[in-house]
Amino acid sequence: MRTVSKLFMALSVLSFAVPAFAQGGASSEVNWVAISAGFSMAFASGICALAQGKATAAAAEGLARNPAARPGIQLALILGLALIESLALYTLVIIFAKVK
Amino acid sequence: MPEQLWFTKILNHLFAGSVTSLLQHLSITPKYPTAPIPNSLAMELLVFLFLLILFLVVRSRLSVENPGGTQHVFEIVEGLIQNQSNEIIGHHSEGYTPFLATLAFFILFCNLIGVIPGFESPTAVPIVPLGCALCAFVYYQYQGFKHAGVSYLKHFSGPMPALAPLMIPIELISHLARVLSLTIRLYANMFAGDMVTFVFFSLVPVGVPILFLGLHVGVSLLQTYIFVLLTTVYLQGAVSDEH
Repeated sequence: MRTVSKLFMALSVLSFAVPAFAQGGASSEVNWVAISAGFSMAFASGICALAQGKATAAAAEGLARNPAARPGIQLALILGLALIESLALYTLVIIFAKVK
Repeated sequence: MPEQLWFTKILNHLFAGSVTSLLQHLSITPKYPTAPIPNSLAMELLVFLFLLILFLVVRSRLSVENPGGTQHVFEIVEGLIQNQSNEIIGHHSEGYTPFLATLAFFILFCNLIGVIPGFESPTAVPIVPLGCALCAFVYYQYQGFKHAGVSYLKHFSGPMPALAPLMIPIELISHLARVLSLTIRLYANMFAGDMVTFVFFSLVPVGVPILFLGLHVGVSLLQTYIFVLLTTVYLQGAVSDEH
């Protein structure tokens, strides 16, 4: 008897799970915009880093071969890095515009 | 009521009535009639007044015989911009230095004012970099027309006249994309800097946000330089002579 009443007391704890049968609202849906925004930003930053690495490597090699051309190489490097950076920033702007 | 900085509160207290009635004459109703001046406009006006006073002070202290410290600083800045435009544009580029130097000073101080507590960068809202980019766009188109007359339009038609129907839409879109890219580059750099500082401030309130404020200062300088450099490159595209 004691065992059965303890069993029933343990089983009555399961009644706490009743709200799971309630109708699911829209707030429990998956936020696809945020997930894809995270992936796209990671992708954009990764490819931007690769491109900037290539640009910097080329500039360093050119500077090593011909140190007298430093002004021109420096100009081309800074311009190239800023233009590549801005492409990754376009993705960031879309995220700020679209993700709540 | 929107969140206002102390300077915006002063301006709205003094000018809200006249600004709202001016806007209503133009059939625009401001969202908050007691605070029609937004933070970005107030900060822009502050930078404008500061630069005006700075330039007047420097101008009053110019002398050929014994130049002071401020004169040296401004000569260095003018030398930098003139050397760069000489390198990129070539001959007769001195006429462009006033506009480029003013643009550089304005964008630099707009970016840097966000570091001071109690102020925010006006370039962190999209409309202010759009204004700077439109000024640069109108300036280089105007210089192109002034240099070459109506035959400046030949720049849009590409290398051969047979390709003109294809090249003209492409060139128009690429020129408009220059405005877009200048705007978004400056806006995104400043806004992202603010966001990142804010995020790290909410994580670790002591010590770590200082690194991001330092990053904001560095990015401000770099983005000013890039804006002026790109305007110089666009000027070179507009006024270059095809020999």
